[in-house]
Amino acid sequence: MASARDTNARQEGCKDPWSKLLERVGQQRDREAYRSLYEHFGPQIKYYALSNGMAHHAEELVQEVMISVWRRACLYDWRKAAASTWIFTIARNQRIDMLRKMQRSSAEMAVETEDLWQIPGDNENEPVTALHRILAERRVRESLRSLPEEQVTVLAKVYMESKSHQMVADELQIPLGTVKSRVRLALNKLKVILRDQAV
Amino acid sequence: MIQHHPDESLLLEYSAGNLDTAQALCLRLHLDVCSRCRCQVDMLDSVGAMLLQEEKSSALSNDLFDRILTRIETLPEDEPKPKVTTDPLRKLVGDLNALPWKRQLVNVSVYDLSEQFPDQPGQVVLQKISAGGKAPVHTHRGTETTVVVQGGFTDNRGVFEAGDFVVLGQQDVHKPIALHGEDCVTLSILSAPVRLTGPLGRLLNPFIR
Ligand SMILES: [Zn+2]
Repeated sequence: MASARDTNARQEGCKDPWSKLLERVGQQRDREAYRSLYEHFGPQIKYYALSNGMAHHAEELVQEVMISVWRRACLYDWRKAAASTWIFTIARNQRIDMLRKMQRSSAEMAVETEDLWQIPGDNENEPVTALHRILAERRVRESLRSLPEEQVTVLAKVYMESKSHQMVADELQIPLGTVKSRVRLALNKLKVILRDQAV
Repeated sequence: MIQHHPDESLLLEYSAGNLDTAQALCLRLHLDVCSRCRCQVDMLDSVGAMLLQEEKSSALSNDLFDRILTRIETLPEDEPKPKVTTDPLRKLVGDLNALPWKRQLVNVSVYDLSEQFPDQPGQVVLQKISAGGKAPVHTHRGTETTVVVQGGFTDNRGVFEAGDFVVLGQQDVHKPIALHGEDCVTLSILSAPVRLTGPLGRLLNPFIR
């Protein structure tokens, strides 16, 4: 099976540096690798908390995310998600979870956050799609840079400030339909919309 | 084969984590059986990750990392294990057949889940149409977000089977007929009460909540 081994080697070569660090945390409990991840992603997560209006809990969110990264790193599979994507989903879930717990006692949380929003790789039954994923992510990254400012602004408000399309429309004082069409244009450009493709 | 998908703005709001919990549950139930939307959500998650990286960052307190290390020391040794997908709805309500369904009309029963989703505006209900049964013609004053949980139904928009996802607006007249063989169970979020429009509707409306 030389060809399969070649493919594996080629895929290994695509692994980004953050994914390698995350694997070292997962497999060897490597604290230096963990510190590097913290130094890179920690400030981003804090900014994410601040832009979400969690000024009083920003570093608490960083802590919760980093603890979760440590605990779950052994489950991380670079073929299923880039480290940055995996950490983003953890940050998103911890944000939701913290807000839910602030609103009510956790005993009243009938459905766990992680059952509603899954982290890539949590589901063992998922097929492994390293090359396809890496190519898609590269395409997304490249086209994100070439999007018009107004489209990036809308996406950033949805992701970084947790604003619904309606809230974005109100804030920018543009019609809801304009927000939706900017989103659609952006997602088309990023080739996230797969409507007409066979998958 | 999944035929009816949530639109891209819902997938985006799901990926961004901006949906209420009942909406997220509807999406999750669809994603469990729809590899196409799952693939889109994976890519949307990477959009989120890239926005996180492109945006500004904020300096951290000097002692924060040490505090995190201290907490790590006290973590129990148990390693989290990958989960085989557990169906979050079954986890919440258990066996659908064993639920105390409330008969509403000849072919229609409901089970109200709203209390489990205190953050969700509107009503969260499981609805059951008996196999092959017709539900009365109705419209919606607000929107209805529905995901098929078991069995299936047909209406003028097509055939809806387990996992299919549909959002109905005020202009949609809905006249579902359950497929044969199995009771059709759907999970729905109703932003306003359902309104019956058929000849019986005027009679029954006051009794339907
Ligand atoms: Zn789908």
